[in-house]
Amino acid sequence: MKRPLGTIAGARSGDKGGDANLGVWVRSDEAFEWLNGFLTTEKLKELLPEAREVSRYELPNLKALNFVLHGLLGDGVASSTRFDPQAKALGEWLRSREVEIPEELL
Amino acid sequence: MIRIGNASGFYGDRLSAMREQLEGGELDVLTGDYLAELTMLILGRDRMKDSSLGYAKTFLRQMEDCLALALDKGVKIVVNAGGLNPEGLARKLGAKVGYVTGDDLKARFPEALTANAYLGAWEIAECLDQGAQVVVTGRVTDASLVVGPAAAHFGWARDDWHRLAGATVAGHVLECGTQATGGNYSFFTEIDVTRPGFPIAEVDEDGSCLITKHDGTGGAVNVDTVTAQLLYEIGAPEYLGPDVTTHFDTIRLDPHERGVRISGTRGSPPPGTLKVCLNTLGGFRNSTTFVLTGLDVQQKADLVRRQLHDAIGEEGLTWTLARTDQRDAATEEQASALLHVTIKTTDPKRAKGFSRAAIELALASYPGFHVTAPPGDGTPFGVYQAAYVNRDEVSAKAVLL
Repeated sequence: MKRPLGTIAGARSGDKGGDANLGVWVRSDEAFEWLNGFLTTEKLKELLPEAREVSRYELPNLKALNFVLHGLLGDGVASSTRFDPQAKALGEWLRSREVEIPEELL
Repeated sequence: MIRIGNASGFYGDRLSAMREQLEGGELDVLTGDYLAELTMLILGRDRMKDSSLGYAKTFLRQMEDCLALALDKGVKIVVNAGGLNPEGLARKLGAKVGYVTGDDLKARFPEALTANAYLGAWEIAECLDQGAQVVVTGRVTDASLVVGPAAAHFGWARDDWHRLAGATVAGHVLECGTQATGGNYSFFTEIDVTRPGFPIAEVDEDGSCLITKHDGTGGAVNVDTVTAQLLYEIGAPEYLGPDVTTHFDTIRLDPHERGVRISGTRGSPPPGTLKVCLNTLGGFRNSTTFVLTGLDVQQKADLVRRQLHDAIGEEGLTWTLARTDQRDAATEEQASALLHVTIKTTDPKRAKGFSRAAIELALASYPGFHVTAPPGDGTPFGVYQAAYVNRDEVSAKAVLL
């Protein structure tokens, strides 16, 4: 059923120069298996249409995925005109997006 | 085991954290991170005004309050508060102080306002080996503040990759202070985060550690709060640093009655280059937010945009219209949208002229014209860039006063 991703996933985001990073993690192996299959680079771009070039890394030991959103912040924090120039709340935005989550994970 | 605490995650963090960490329980070393990319720019501007400045002034206030207490308890202080002027800061402290220098590469990058290589742990370790009670550095990696004291304490070798990697993970967890103990945490509703305590890593000889905090402090240290911080500001799982390459996909977390055990971390040799934080002055910026209430929001935005372009030209202006307005709203605020405009320009006069142009619209624009706050004179802004230099081009040095 459609529920905010943050119902089962936590996230933390921040800046590295002009790039933003967005870590997403879940709290069980079953949930990670689902997240890893579900949250592809394409899906992330669909949920965060602002994302352009994205790198995706898997950290199964932490039940986590890490995304780097290249160039999201222009020339870096001090110069960015983006709403939320340090991408601090990027993760909370992603958590609020409604997605199809398997019933047994809720 | 060595107990390493953190009392600062950025320049501006809780001033009383130093005292809280010293009084709250046992510690061997207390660290503090004061330097973000943006902070180097702020300190660079301080230094332009007064060459004796360029360090984190709040750390000096904390030392006025707490240095005697730290010395009394035998707790060593290791911070990067030296910023662009570690020697200047070191000379203001009444203790056996070591400082780390050599990160400043302005001579190599003369066009930059600040140019600093990210140094590592070994000069910090050297200061401690020589008996320093306080170590102040400039630009070192945040994690080095933890790796240095652990390496000195255990007498690690420079190629103890797994140990160094373990301590780097401890340092990464600690470097943002309360972000490891429930601050800025997605599942904040599950814990009491009114006033989170600052984190502590009890590092073992093999580089593994227990992340914990003093008894009776707020927040929480659990697998989720630690995971959240491990994911902060990272890229690929091979986390490159000056001391070691740390493999984040080997970290193992286990719950513990006093926090979280971190073990299993593997390390490998670091790259042959050091990262350099470059800040150049990009120009001047100014901004304002117009409030657009009620009907015809898009047309109101179009009008004010046309007017401002007519007054000062479009160049360097960025507009965003946030449709926060709701139809038929019961409060004025809910009936309102926000139109943000920012100017970035190399001409300080134009940044200042932006304010006058925006305010001159006050009686001549859309119905209901007002702004959230009047624009100021404009401020300079920096452009951050990373550069890389060979290790042998940087000569880091430990100096004991």
